[in-house]
Amino acid sequence: MGQIANLPRLRQVSNLPHMTHRMMSTSTLPLTETIAAADEAAVAAAVRDAGQHDTAVYPIGGGTTLDYGARPSRPGIGLSLANLRRVIDYPADDMTITVEAGLTAAELTKCLAEKRQRLPIDVCQSNRATVGGLLATNLSGPRRYACGTIRDYLLGFRAVDGRGTAFSGGGRVVKNAAGYNLGRLMVGSLGTLGIITQATFMVRPMPEASAVLACDVPDFNTAERLLAALVHTQTLPAAVELSAGSCRQDCPALGPLPEGHVARLFVGFEGMTTEVEWMGGQLRSDWRQLGIDSLLSASAAAGDRLWQWLTEFAADLQISVLPSATVGMIQRLLDLVPGGSIQAHAGNGVIGLKLPSSVLPFPLGEGRTHSLPLPLGEGRGEGASPEQPHDFALWLRQQLRPAVAEAGGCVVVRRCPAGAELTACEVWGPPGDGAAVMRAIKDRFDPQGILNPGRFIYDP
Amino acid sequence: MTRIVPRSLIRGLCTRLGAGNVLSAPSELAVYDCDALTVERQRPDAVVFPRSARQVADVVALCRQHAVPMIPRGAGTSLAGGCLPLGGGVVVMLTRMNRILEINLRDRLAVVEPGVANLQLTRALAGTGYHFAPDPSSQGASTIGGNVATNAGGPHTLKYGVTVNHVLGLEVVLGDGSIVQLGPVENPAGLDLIGVLVGSEGTLGIVTKTWVRLTPDACDYRTMRAIFNTVDDATNAVSQIIAAGIIPSAMELMDQGILAAVEEAYHFGFPPDAGAILVIEVDGPAAGLDQRQRQIVEICGKFRAREILQATSPAERETLWKCRKMAVGATGRLSPSYLIEDGVVPRTRLPHMLRRIAEIGQKHQVRIVNVAHAGDGNVHPILLFDERNRQQVERARAAGREILEECIACGGSITAEHGIGVEKIALMQRLFAPADLGAMGRIREAFDPAGLFNPGKLLDHAEELRTCGADCQSAAPPAG
Repeated sequence: MGQIANLPRLRQVSNLPHMTHRMMSTSTLPLTETIAAADEAAVAAAVRDAGQHDTAVYPIGGGTTLDYGARPSRPGIGLSLANLRRVIDYPADDMTITVEAGLTAAELTKCLAEKRQRLPIDVCQSNRATVGGLLATNLSGPRRYACGTIRDYLLGFRAVDGRGTAFSGGGRVVKNAAGYNLGRLMVGSLGTLGIITQATFMVRPMPEASAVLACDVPDFNTAERLLAALVHTQTLPAAVELSAGSCRQDCPALGPLPEGHVARLFVGFEGMTTEVEWMGGQLRSDWRQLGIDSLLSASAAAGDRLWQWLTEFAADLQISVLPSATVGMIQRLLDLVPGGSIQAHAGNGVIGLKLPSSVLPFPLGEGRTHSLPLPLGEGRGEGASPEQPHDFALWLRQQLRPAVAEAGGCVVVRRCPAGAELTACEVWGPPGDGAAVMRAIKDRFDPQGILNPGRFIYDP
Repeated sequence: MTRIVPRSLIRGLCTRLGAGNVLSAPSELAVYDCDALTVERQRPDAVVFPRSARQVADVVALCRQHAVPMIPRGAGTSLAGGCLPLGGGVVVMLTRMNRILEINLRDRLAVVEPGVANLQLTRALAGTGYHFAPDPSSQGASTIGGNVATNAGGPHTLKYGVTVNHVLGLEVVLGDGSIVQLGPVENPAGLDLIGVLVGSEGTLGIVTKTWVRLTPDACDYRTMRAIFNTVDDATNAVSQIIAAGIIPSAMELMDQGILAAVEEAYHFGFPPDAGAILVIEVDGPAAGLDQRQRQIVEICGKFRAREILQATSPAERETLWKCRKMAVGATGRLSPSYLIEDGVVPRTRLPHMLRRIAEIGQKHQVRIVNVAHAGDGNVHPILLFDERNRQQVERARAAGREILEECIACGGSITAEHGIGVEKIALMQRLFAPADLGAMGRIREAFDPAGLFNPGKLLDHAEELRTCGADCQSAAPPAG
């Protein structure tokens, strides 16, 4: 276990049972100390203890998304779930698995692989990312086109709410309509309704084979034409991804995007070997008929690296629109952010945008600091001159959000830049329909507002 | 027990909706006193037929003003009493909001009003290469609004999932009379209210529009029907198929009892001593299907399947499916009334569960025949009785309850796709701990503080809030 700098003071907690300590990087959270719970009872005790002292609690898994969400509103304790890492039950023939929240995604994958099964959710930094973190953030990757998101696989869970009360939802069977689907609500709530301690997933058989086909697209009209054609393909793509912009020159196996092209389209297939081969051949012929000659395909080993590369794209901003608006939105984004880098789950309309580090007015993660103003793009907006540093939040509000709203979409800041000091409204967007109900739910699960305060949507 | 609905409310409803869209004469209300769960009846005080979200919002605002409960209703096919006007109130019929507003293949979605029948949407999509995946047995009548309310499933959920996996967006009238739109863009910021509204049985709001995800039609199928000597052999074959890494698009089981009924009605020529049959379908690109079919045939053979039919044409496929689709209707030949349960167990527990169902039937002297979405571990025991005989009714209900308790004991659940309604509300406390029910109660309160949406369904609201308060205190071990 590597030693990491900026480690907050660790507390020896005598009144919390089974506490152990573990080192982790928590520099983006205002932590007075970090404690590590050994089990659910310890999580509940820690939350109750915090509640009595009106102290905030920041749940921590693998520490890969601590910069997700808005600026925490007050100091508090870090509560690590990393020691809750047991596989509770794995009845492989039922294709379900119950695990503790601190298990890493890689450990889960390994466990399932022994029975030739998997949870078909792509996870960044899977060696560190935990099941709990995965659920709290609801992040997903290229396979969401065919496989959906982790919400579609969570069958049941256990959690501790803001009052320190343990509760559960759902069950361990693959189909269950008893009561409200609390699991769906927990997923993506960034630990603000409760701290998940245990989860049961539906899992799937490991596909026998997979392949990635790609083609380089000369212009955006062609990109839309190819995507629209996929609607009527006889094949069943597992992933439909579009890469565009700069900084995407490191594509494994396929090399950089050649001159005279604006984007690269990736289509992934999974299934039985015969299926995958047939689908690959079918798509090749579809593409040829559409006038695409420069087909790229990766060998099996390189294919794995490609999936990985597509998965690990660390977007700063996530823009969602309807699938049909994806290409238009990408063009608009590249116009607004020259030098930006884009990878889109184009079949879902979910676009990841990485800002060019060279033009950022603030530090953005490790080693990506700069002090130049972010250009507003061809004279749009007031004060676009480079001499006058721009406020990132202002740019979001005045430039990006209106452009995306025009297309019926929404923007979420995925990595809240240190020093950008973004409010919830700036990170998640202005409160939309349903905000009052969300607030009412939050108040009932965490009446003191101690779970991850400030980071989620509630306090615009 | 019947609530007196103020005349002023009826007048208000008539003003907003037009007198022709409001029923309040007792003779007109009788039809709405139950749904497909016929053993309980209660007449509503009024029935309204709104035609737009605006009108639904007006109804909600008026009912709220008069503190009168609302019971949203589609085709009334709920088998759990989800539309029973418990304690009266206003039934909000959504069947006249039955337009398909948009079919958008590029974005693979359709926008429909709640009163659109599931099959109506299926027909409208025929030939487009896409379909709406949930296909409950009631699909000829049941509405998309109802499918959303119960998180409906059907035979194909094994591979394609239930309704919640196919809803991209909702327009909902909330308890305060506001109309909100959630989705249809993926990954919106905030809590997944869609996820909790789907399956909420009309207790959190009234859905007025749904953006459903469309699924590509399978390019090819292999459909098989295997006859087994015993239920055990059939259920073991099911487990083995899944364990082999095959996800069939459907895997339906029928036991000897239901086969007899189907045979009597339709003369398929099943051997009278057959213990069970499985209808198994795999779909996908043709390239892999023959191999999968071979694997399945092999596994069925291992469990002594005595006959395996494979469809070689669409017409033959229809025939193989026909006996499954006609099964429930055929039970009408066996008995004047029946109660369909909806239990679910881990699929490896199916052999045990079906044995226990037979024992429970014997114990309570109730004839029980079974259909099951076997791949999901979802059993639908059909309990046969005569509604005119109170004793028989009671015995059937007792047997039903015991079956569901056995499902809980097996680590399963009391409903996979029909919902809780009024029928299973007492069992919620067996399935969930007080803190779990408390969490659900808090969700309901957050959406509908006045408690006017479908009260008395899904969970005993007042009861849960009360228990939760007490238990949450006592459940916490003393600090320090």
